[in-house]
Amino acid sequence: MDLLGLANYAVFMAILIGIYALLALGLNIQWGFTGLFNAGIAGFFAIGAYASAILTSLPASGRLGGYELPLVVGWLASMVAAAAIAWPIGKICLRFRSDYLAIATIGIAEIIRLVIRTEGWLTGGVRGVTGIPRPFGDLDYMPSQVAYLAIVATLVLIAYLLVERQVKAPWGRMMRAIRDNELAAAAMGKQVEARRLQAFVFGSALMGLAGALFVHFNRSVTPEAIDPMIATFLIWIMLILGGSGNNRGAILGAAVIWIIWSVSELLTDRLPTEVAVQAKYARVFIIGLTLQLVLRFRPEGILPERQAGSPPHR
Amino acid sequence: MKKRTVAAVVGAVLGAAVVATPAHAQDVKLGLMAAISGPIAALAPPMAAASRLAVTHVNEQGGILKGGKLEAVLGDSACNPQNATDVATKAVNIDRVIAVVGPACSGAVLASANSVTIPAGVLMITPSGTSPEITKLKDKDLVYRTLPSDDYQGRALARTLKARGISKVAVAYLNNDYGKGLAESFKAEFEANGGTLAGYSGHEEGKASYRSELATLARGGADTLVIFDYGDGTGLSILRQSLENNFFKTFVGADGMKSEGLVKAIGAANLGGFFVSAPVGEASASLDNFNKAFKAAGENIDAVFATTSYDAAFLAALAIEKAGGDKAKLAESLRAVASAPGEPILAGEWAKAKKLIAEGKDIDYKGAGGDHEFDAAGDVPGNYAFFKVSGTGYESIADMK
Repeated sequence: MDLLGLANYAVFMAILIGIYALLALGLNIQWGFTGLFNAGIAGFFAIGAYASAILTSLPASGRLGGYELPLVVGWLASMVAAAAIAWPIGKICLRFRSDYLAIATIGIAEIIRLVIRTEGWLTGGVRGVTGIPRPFGDLDYMPSQVAYLAIVATLVLIAYLLVERQVKAPWGRMMRAIRDNELAAAAMGKQVEARRLQAFVFGSALMGLAGALFVHFNRSVTPEAIDPMIATFLIWIMLILGGSGNNRGAILGAAVIWIIWSVSELLTDRLPTEVAVQAKYARVFIIGLTLQLVLRFRPEGILPERQAGSPPHR
Repeated sequence: MKKRTVAAVVGAVLGAAVVATPAHAQDVKLGLMAAISGPIAALAPPMAAASRLAVTHVNEQGGILKGGKLEAVLGDSACNPQNATDVATKAVNIDRVIAVVGPACSGAVLASANSVTIPAGVLMITPSGTSPEITKLKDKDLVYRTLPSDDYQGRALARTLKARGISKVAVAYLNNDYGKGLAESFKAEFEANGGTLAGYSGHEEGKASYRSELATLARGGADTLVIFDYGDGTGLSILRQSLENNFFKTFVGADGMKSEGLVKAIGAANLGGFFVSAPVGEASASLDNFNKAFKAAGENIDAVFATTSYDAAFLAALAIEKAGGDKAKLAESLRAVASAPGEPILAGEWAKAKKLIAEGKDIDYKGAGGDHEFDAAGDVPGNYAFFKVSGTGYESIADMK
């Protein structure tokens, strides 16, 4: 155990927290401010991941790709692709009430996963895409991680500031009005469906960017990364725990849950070897228990949504 | 206030984790990155047990380096890149391992090698990642595997079928990295040798009926169906439904189909036209050693990837011993202890190996799962044989080239 190792681990955790924070911010736009139950986060994460991977990776036979475009293009494309796919989905599905939307988005995420697995000419199929560049990837272990963290942190900060500004603007108040009382908002002349679609598309674009950041960090992407447990439900838990409707809450939730998820394994490692295999499941249990406790004792999350003027009523 | 409480809890958790067990000077840690939770959870316990058996052998027979103990650190890579990179980072930075065995799934291998172990200069030996993409990693000679890439088996099977006079087949593969990897390499080699594919399609696992897929494949007019699937899973349904409906006469599978449960379920009498290819260990004495020890430990010797998991851990230990614990020399040492020429070392013969290394002699580990002569990319060639059903099990009828 030395400090350098600990620092390296902390930097790695911070990078993943940053990526999850982007996902949580995206979900916060959809659920926290607009009340759209998106249970298909993994799908938009995957679209962003593959879009950037295909555009920036080295050439390979048997699949699309190898354009070796600059990273920035890949990252912009990941957001555009996720948004472009979210648009028709939203156009069709957002007419559903929240629980039907949840079921539809689960299905859509599964369709996206199966398309990625089966359409080898596009995505490399189950073998995935490799040879994806990583910015500052040629540096040594520590500096390269720190450099990547800087990029991720900057993007999270920009996303946070932009979302925060948007939510404080009249747009944000309108979104909350639609979320809390759709009929009243419609009666005031707000275009409920168009606004919901906006939120859905913006949120999905952020999720796509998170996917791109994840694959460039690992220099590879395979369909195994699109696991609903780790790419959908964990993010829901982060947002609920951190406080939906509060951007700082979303980021804090990402940090708390990822730290519990990662660090709890170090604790279970101290258990005797006879139960080592069983102990690995403890962290899944811990996450579930945390969610239960939060929902029971603090349903509004650690940092609740700030209500201007009126007392919290939800 | 609440924020402070959360911060305190997080701080306490981190703090508790930091109070790790103090390491002795000569003790060496080996990371085991099993896929304990996730889609291949059922395979993980025997794989971890086999790697631990190797660690036990090392510690029972004189330990590692100068009286040190080899300590296994078990991590859960969960078969996905998110968890695999996390667990690799912990193993490398918190537990300070100098070599890891695993992760189990190819996608997890690619991600954790790229973002953690290669930059950190840590040796990685995977016992079950079979994707051809692993061959292409720019790995500074640090990534190895103890089982052949899917490419080898698919190509060898294609050549064997051609040599046996079969030139028209239909292929049904399970749509995952295993099934698809095999199917693609089979297709490439079979067609390059003048064979015809009368049908070629993937299927998802766990469906009740595959009759419509099979009927489509049978319409191509081939007598032989090549199945790249698992004999304890979907492969059994495919085979059973083909036989029931008389879609094909001859069936050929790869190692995943070589299941005794399948023979029991369908009956040897109905399986006269069923053949499988499977890896065979050349140094069978080494496999016997392993089987005896693994059985004594109360484990199932037929478990998939058990031998390769044992070999991966044992090879890592040999490399550490040869390198004198120097991380920078691990790759070079691994090649030295695994490749001919040298005094042969079988599974479980740690004391002998340790003595020879101390005397400065060259050794060549002949593992339970194969000889492990690594090529330039860190891959091993496979030794495969062609099997037919015999009694309740399988009998080898030809070597595959």
